[in-house]
Amino acid sequence: MGMTAAEKILARTSGKSAVKAGDIVYPKPDFVMIHDGVVRGAKEELDALGIGRVFDPERVLMVTDHDVVYVNDRAAARGAFNREAAKAWGVKHFFDAGRGGHGHIFPTERGWVLPGTLYFDNDRHCTNAGGIGALAIRMGTEINRVLATGTNWTLVPKSVKLTIRGKLQPGVFARDLGFVIGKNLAPGGDFGVDIDYRVLEFAGELDQFSLAARVSLCSTPTEMRAIGVFFPPSPEIVEYAKQRAQRPFTPVYPDADARYDAEVELDVGSLKPQVALPGGPHKAADLASVAGTPVSHTYIGSCGSGMYEDLEIAASILKGKKLAYGVRMIVVPGSEDSTRRMTREGLLDIFHDAGAMVIPAGCGPCASGRTGLIDSGETSISTAVANGAGRFGAKDAQLYLGSPATVAASAVTGRITDPREFLPA
Amino acid sequence: MNEFQWLLKGRCYKLGHDVPHPGGVIPNWLIAGRYLDPKDLVPHLFEETDPGFHTRCKPGDIIVTGRNFGMGPKMNGYIAMQALGLGLVCESMPFLAYRAAIGCGVRVLTDCVNVTEMCETGDELEIDFRDGFFINHTKDIRREYPPMPDTLMEIVELGGNAGWLKDWQEKRRAGAA
Repeated sequence: MGMTAAEKILARTSGKSAVKAGDIVYPKPDFVMIHDGVVRGAKEELDALGIGRVFDPERVLMVTDHDVVYVNDRAAARGAFNREAAKAWGVKHFFDAGRGGHGHIFPTERGWVLPGTLYFDNDRHCTNAGGIGALAIRMGTEINRVLATGTNWTLVPKSVKLTIRGKLQPGVFARDLGFVIGKNLAPGGDFGVDIDYRVLEFAGELDQFSLAARVSLCSTPTEMRAIGVFFPPSPEIVEYAKQRAQRPFTPVYPDADARYDAEVELDVGSLKPQVALPGGPHKAADLASVAGTPVSHTYIGSCGSGMYEDLEIAASILKGKKLAYGVRMIVVPGSEDSTRRMTREGLLDIFHDAGAMVIPAGCGPCASGRTGLIDSGETSISTAVANGAGRFGAKDAQLYLGSPATVAASAVTGRITDPREFLPA
Repeated sequence: MNEFQWLLKGRCYKLGHDVPHPGGVIPNWLIAGRYLDPKDLVPHLFEETDPGFHTRCKPGDIIVTGRNFGMGPKMNGYIAMQALGLGLVCESMPFLAYRAAIGCGVRVLTDCVNVTEMCETGDELEIDFRDGFFINHTKDIRREYPPMPDTLMEIVELGGNAGWLKDWQEKRRAGAA
């Protein structure tokens, strides 16, 4: 019996020729990531047990993306603690505030996350690794065991195969598709599958999806409780990875006779621009059904739309235009490298000329509203990964999600707007 | 470690399907407030549906639930269950709820299909978590469910993730000495 991509990656890292869904294994990850919000908890727990070291300081990435611009005393104290923790653990790859950027974006751009990679993370949005053909598994608070010992028990997940048929029309983006996939994966959704702790493995007409598009397709299934998402890497993506690889890698592809928990198909050819209605990224609706809804808060960034291409799409709409009266826009690049590239390629001027605020790379407002908050009664449209009540502050604010193009178009008009009105025919 | 009780004999406390962790198991304010001390959590277990539960349950009692128990990947409710010496038997759980229960050292069986049809609250149950044997003495029903995997039993026996790490560190120190 063949293996799914996730089974192959877990077999390799567990030192086994084969594993199957349902096995419990102890994989040795290529590296381990921990973000700024949970370092203190992990460090204090390990210190209390007398564990003052990590399993391999060379293979630990500490990233700072939740609280980048310290906006209160607590955040400043957390930053100070994390710097001391990095020193005490001897972590060489410590990406402090202002270095690196979003932990689920820049490690792919910098060649840490490569086709076939396995890494453990405290945070569930590590599933972005699937965009390049890697697997990352969330350990939550048990990241402390991984930091101490280098591994933890891992249930080999089942996989659900999603075959994409047809091509997205111009003006319809991966994020629009992501909301629809979320709707179909949700309980009672058309796919009729259980996605809890499954890997969603994409197949079919995938050449239309750039690396950025693939990364952005990883976030909504995660919100539906997928443990991973996987795209078989194209030759172009393998080449991209080769150019920046931090270590040798071997791309992984599923076997033709792999066993899936379920196999579903989706024809995307007739898809129109979507929004996710307030309440969840799976609440997909045709944009037309809410077109014209006034907005005042707009935001581009997050795990869901944090690659450079997402910024380019938004900038292509904002170029030469101004944000509507009473609308603010927060732009959060996924990486400091993207911010520098925005400077070089003129995107920073486009955003600034439009009246947008570009803040340092990281999670931005999506990290439980630490920056760029929204007030009671306001309406937002953004590219955040999630839009449950209170995600950016006030619990009674209305939070819509859209593609970077939709968010930019809506910021220009001050109401939810179909981006095709701004794109060349 | 030898005296760890894998076989529990106690009363059944039955819950339905889709009981969420926040509210259904323990009030959300304890989760949001990051209360992790059993002393803080125990008085509030099942408080919103059954106030005073902790004064009536006894070590060895078994919580039996329907499908999709404990939505929400948090630990607080399982910390209280572990401290009270309760067992947990579910028709199904989201994986991260199961992981949290194991990580908190709770004796837990999941994927016990239709187990809620085999018992009512107050029935005298006997559950062996090592082999998945289920006996309802009140109704004279015997069933066999998937047991706890050995590698996870080791974690539960040591009190959960923190206990496992403590043991690992002690062995490492002893090995180095």
